[in-house]
Amino acid sequence: MEPSNTNNESKYWRSLRAYHNDPSVNEDKAREFAKEVTGDFDLDSMSPISRKQFLALVTASAAFAAAGCSSYRDKGQIVPYTKKPEEITLGKANFYASTFIDQGQEYGILIKTREGRPIKIDGNPDHPINKGKISARGQASILNLYDPERLKDPMFVDSGILSKSTWKEVDGRIVASLTSAVKEGKEIAIVAHTITSPSAKKVLNDFTAKYPTAKIYSYELFNDLNRRSAWTKSTGGSLFPLIKWNEAKVILALESDFLGSEGNIAEQTRMYVENRNVDNAKNISRVYSADGTMNSTAMNADYRLRVRPDQQLEFILALINEFKPVGKGSIKEFAVKNGIDASAVKQLVKDLGENKGKSIVHAGNGLPESVHIAVNVLNEILGNSALYNRAQSGVDHVDPTKKEEWEALVTRMNNGSVGVVLHWDSNPVYHFASDLGYAEALKKVGAVVTFAEQQNETTAVSNYVLPVNHEFESWGDHKTRTGIASLQQPVIDPLYNTRQKEAILLAWTTGSYAVTDYHDFMMNRWEKEVFPATRSSVEFKTFWFSALHDGMVTVNEPAAAVPSVKSDALNSVSTVSVSNDFVLFLHDNYFVGDGRYANNGWLQEMPHPASKIAWDNYAALSVATSRELGIDEGAMIEVAVGGRKLDLPVHVQPGLADKFIAVMLGYGRTVAGTVGTGVGFNANIFISKNASLSPYLYSGVTVTKTGEKYNLASTQEHHQLDDTFLKDLHKKREIIQEGTVVQYLEDPKFLEKEHHATTIIPKIKYDGVKWAMAIDLNKCTGCGVCTLSCNVENNIPVVGKEQLGKGREMAWIRIDRYFSGTSEAPSVSNQPMLCQHCDNAPCENVCPVIATTHSPDGLNQMAYNRCVGTKYCSNNCPYKVRRFNFYDFRNEFNDGYQYQQPLNMLHNPEVTVRSRGVMEKCTFCVQRIMEGRQHAIEEGKVFDGSGVTVACQDACPADAIVFGNMNDKNSDIYKYRHHEIGYHVLEEINVAPNVTYVAKLRNVETQTEKA
Amino acid sequence: MSSTALDYSKEISVIEGVPTAASLDEAIVKPINEFPQRNWFIGLAITGTMLGIGGISLAWLLWKGVGIWGINQPVAWGFDVVNFVFWVGIGHAGTLISAILFLLRQKWRTGIARFAEAMTLFAVLCAVQFVIFHTGRPWLAMAWLFPYPNQHGVWVNFTSPLEWDVFAVNTYFTVSAVFWYIGLIPDFATLRDRATTTIKKTVYAVLSLGWRFSNRHWQHYERAYLIMAGFATPLVLSVHTIVSFDFAVSVLPGWHTTIFPPYFVAGAIFSGFAMVQNVLIITRKAFKFEHLITMDTIEKMNKIMLVTGTMVGYAYIMEFFIAWYSGNATELFVFINRAFGPYWWAYWTMMTCNLIAPQLFWSKKIRTSLLASFILAIFVNIGMWFERFVIIVTSLHRDFLPSSWGMFIPTMWDFGLLIGSFGLFFTLVLLFVKFLPAIAMAEIKAVVPGAQPSHHGNGAAH
Repeated sequence: MEPSNTNNESKYWRSLRAYHNDPSVNEDKAREFAKEVTGDFDLDSMSPISRKQFLALVTASAAFAAAGCSSYRDKGQIVPYTKKPEEITLGKANFYASTFIDQGQEYGILIKTREGRPIKIDGNPDHPINKGKISARGQASILNLYDPERLKDPMFVDSGILSKSTWKEVDGRIVASLTSAVKEGKEIAIVAHTITSPSAKKVLNDFTAKYPTAKIYSYELFNDLNRRSAWTKSTGGSLFPLIKWNEAKVILALESDFLGSEGNIAEQTRMYVENRNVDNAKNISRVYSADGTMNSTAMNADYRLRVRPDQQLEFILALINEFKPVGKGSIKEFAVKNGIDASAVKQLVKDLGENKGKSIVHAGNGLPESVHIAVNVLNEILGNSALYNRAQSGVDHVDPTKKEEWEALVTRMNNGSVGVVLHWDSNPVYHFASDLGYAEALKKVGAVVTFAEQQNETTAVSNYVLPVNHEFESWGDHKTRTGIASLQQPVIDPLYNTRQKEAILLAWTTGSYAVTDYHDFMMNRWEKEVFPATRSSVEFKTFWFSALHDGMVTVNEPAAAVPSVKSDALNSVSTVSVSNDFVLFLHDNYFVGDGRYANNGWLQEMPHPASKIAWDNYAALSVATSRELGIDEGAMIEVAVGGRKLDLPVHVQPGLADKFIAVMLGYGRTVAGTVGTGVGFNANIFISKNASLSPYLYSGVTVTKTGEKYNLASTQEHHQLDDTFLKDLHKKREIIQEGTVVQYLEDPKFLEKEHHATTIIPKIKYDGVKWAMAIDLNKCTGCGVCTLSCNVENNIPVVGKEQLGKGREMAWIRIDRYFSGTSEAPSVSNQPMLCQHCDNAPCENVCPVIATTHSPDGLNQMAYNRCVGTKYCSNNCPYKVRRFNFYDFRNEFNDGYQYQQPLNMLHNPEVTVRSRGVMEKCTFCVQRIMEGRQHAIEEGKVFDGSGVTVACQDACPADAIVFGNMNDKNSDIYKYRHHEIGYHVLEEINVAPNVTYVAKLRNVETQTEKA
Repeated sequence: MSSTALDYSKEISVIEGVPTAASLDEAIVKPINEFPQRNWFIGLAITGTMLGIGGISLAWLLWKGVGIWGINQPVAWGFDVVNFVFWVGIGHAGTLISAILFLLRQKWRTGIARFAEAMTLFAVLCAVQFVIFHTGRPWLAMAWLFPYPNQHGVWVNFTSPLEWDVFAVNTYFTVSAVFWYIGLIPDFATLRDRATTTIKKTVYAVLSLGWRFSNRHWQHYERAYLIMAGFATPLVLSVHTIVSFDFAVSVLPGWHTTIFPPYFVAGAIFSGFAMVQNVLIITRKAFKFEHLITMDTIEKMNKIMLVTGTMVGYAYIMEFFIAWYSGNATELFVFINRAFGPYWWAYWTMMTCNLIAPQLFWSKKIRTSLLASFILAIFVNIGMWFERFVIIVTSLHRDFLPSSWGMFIPTMWDFGLLIGSFGLFFTLVLLFVKFLPAIAMAEIKAVVPGAQPSHHGNGAAH
């Protein structure tokens, strides 16, 4: 924004004399000191050079000297506000409530802004769905706002070349196309993702009213169409109900990654951990995961059954048979046939039988419709429909488009009966099944208009590319649940010549192009539709501002009815014979989503929770299968199914099902900007419109070795699980200490040992505040959101695949993943690892320049300015949590990509950006501690450490991280610090760490613990 | 060779024949006053190229950062510190030969002392560059590693072994340089007197500090030399002890070992002698110094290598034993991993070169063979380089938490600086033999048979 008063000559005056141009003032000003200030020296006989002039000369000569030998980057100018905006105080953060939509899931957020720049996103604690937590993508989404490669101007294809244009020009041309399409009776297809906004829906309705041939289509790459259609077939209802995960005593997840990638992760994780509370050990729930992919849920499950997705139907039918004979196989036979642990299956049947109405069986989105029907039937039989939420349900604004409708659209496009296609912030060219022929059909459409934030595969084949606002620059409202209406507000002016996507359609409908149109439109709708429903007694404006402040309003609204499952539902399900061929399963990744976040380096750099591989997708194979094929990690294989072929690198994944290939979607973008283009492999090409089981599941797959090698970058080494030398080291070294619920109930002190760590050096006393952290491994699911939150808070650069592969990732908090047991049935332990802020920190005494020291409140500090980079501290750190700037990574990664404007605006101004050659590590968010201390001082209180939270803690959806003053006996951290199953990693070397880990209790029957 | 029948009652002559003082000067000064041989230029071209590779590697390092190397988390020290310890180790032979052996009246050292001292200085120079450039910000490290009063009010950390290193290496370099220079003064005077050009004359005159071969000068000289030898002697032991503290003070299994100081000192002498042996044999051949540096000297060097090599080998085995005996599972893991983990080849290279190879010196035939001595010394040099590689890399790459394990894979720039350091070393050696007397002229005259008064009369005529 341009300051409005730039033309006015400044007329500052210091006194009335000066204001009236009294000549004596000018005389005085010329002198350094007023006469008679001091009698010690005679002003007139002094050098004519004033102090200021002298200093100016000195600095100028120094600057000239420096300029000759310096190529330091121009840092620009730091100028204080001449006119202070009302809301902004320099150095103070402002928080704005808004809403973030992630693949159709709604998260209420608080956007932290500093001097008008959004710098950090966290959950809105008042939002009833996500209660203060957000997904990994939500954390990292701030990077997309400042991505230098955002589209900046509208463009259209002019004589074969996509060229920069103006809104006026493209508006005129597109409206003409729309009008002529309507005139000619040609269809206007609007291809959108899930529409979560009622106001957007209203805009679409108005648009359709104005242009009657318009039709709305909606899709998601990762959709729950199978679950929906199964629900309709089983009950006649249309919307699958919400599940009360927090009331489930037993959860059976069938290829359902409800803790990792499917659904509203923040909400589901919160509900899951409600029943993973050590202090309520009797009520710890039990999770079974029957899956082939070794997903997050499988890693956290108490019992894991290795069931391939195509065996799920047989499995679930056999399970139904245990409770209600339907004559479809026995579970024992199934277990024997497929080599599944019989005792675990027996336990599952027992638990489901004993917990009728208190358990839930949940099938993953990727499974075929038939499995979902069978699961619905099983839940009905077990009375588990009691766990369906009847007080609240989801809301659909636009039904997801069915397969047949897409095919019809493509046919019409090919016929030439579609005049305009509007890709409303969607990327169907990348997402759609290759055999649908969508990309070819687009060529027959006169005007292809793509709304996008960044270039993508679809913008590349469009006639018009319209840049849209980032969510943080846009107004919006969302409603994905009954009873909750959320608001989205812009926190920064659009950085470029962009408009929000709703406003563009609205303008084409109304013909008015004012910037505030959509805001007024939305407010108007709220006044008429939402406000009356709240039965609020205040006037609308007051209500509106309070709603904006809160980010949402709750209204009384009935939920959709949950019909019961029809008794004959199973009749439509026929058992499919399980083939002996390879089976291919396509599934969601954890970070880059449907590919939309491909250009987000932070998300690309997050290692997969199980494989710890980043910057790639791959064909995961089981250990036995890879041996059978004679291939190793990183070998390239050609995977072919029905003529669709793709070369993929192999990752040998312990725990994966045999004869099974699991591939993540969302990678292999070809037009995604500097960061995202060419990362991984586009497995979308496997998706067929004629998929018989599910679009994500294919049998009859052939695998051939290509003989090529590929380098997969991983943050953790891969070891053979059967190597006796390396096996279970994490347990032998007591890095991971675990027990079972039964064991804990019998003897809560089972982990306690006699310690003999003695020292002749007196312990330093920390009488005031002493910071400490505790991580409850019962709650941690290993999702990695903490890492992303830390990245954003602490200005951590992206290093790229090559550097990550070399072991130079910069994340301050990482999730260590350990496998124990066999490679077929590994047991997984996750452990967030960060600087332990040891009392006897081994890093401190070895630094020759005292760059790392200990604070009086127990922090292990880094003075970046002092660090010369000997790296000895890192060598001497037993936890290897120190991170070194081997390069100036911001410059090194993609030729200085991270130095491009406006990425500098992303940085947290409270945290130093570290230069090359400097060591860094977790600071326990010292900037937040200092802020808390400052507040206490301002308010004249004694600082007791309360109210200070760290970024990872704020972000943890499971609330597994506790931080605080361990000297405060009323604090949570005090309780955890002295927890009977709390332990310190590597206690024996007596570094006295300040991070306590609460041992994980597996809820298994003791007799099967060793299995 | 001079004594086929062993008669321990008689001293073996340090040099062969009974050369006159003039012919000794002639022989030693010849390479300095003559236009260098073609081989010298070929040698300089090779070492200059190596130095150039090092220069490019260094320039690239300063431009890009230490990321050009293969180091990472967890292996934050790689070739840089390996090379540092290697070169500091090499530097130990010189002072040992010139100081300790001097105090012990080992006259056979005379022929090689000057040479070995020069190599010490060059080796320490090579080592120092790695100390500076292994840091992330060498431009600051060069200043901030020294305690100097400053307005920041920050001081260095005297509890850090790296800080001890700064002092140990600096002291060592300074004392060695002064010691070397003192020894050179009479020879500079000889060179001045024999100089053929004015420039040479002037330079050598300045360097000789007005030496006039007066009796008084000699008395002061002998006294100063003895004192300096006394100064230097503890340094031979202290420097590598302190270098070993870089590792021993840490908590890392494989580093955290009390055996390190003696083990490192023995290793340093071992490698230092091997390097001296290598360079010596070449120079002896090139400048036809066979009568001044006798086979007997070479054999004695081999014996020292045999002793120190066996000590080092003992340390290797003792480390392993203690790892098991201590009951520390992590430490035992580190040692088994050294021998059988991904870096097994480095470990067995070290064991073969350092423990097994020098045992061949038990055979008189081998230790008096020029070729065998040369080859085995090369083996020892390789082995000692690998010893440091094994200690540093294999301990770091798999430490406490299996989650943070990694591999160190050196890059071309790692090798570039390694080659560059050899280039620097040998270039300096070549310049040294060209411009300075490779053998202490003044001293060697004192060990010529008959130079010392003896009741046998002319000592050589037995």
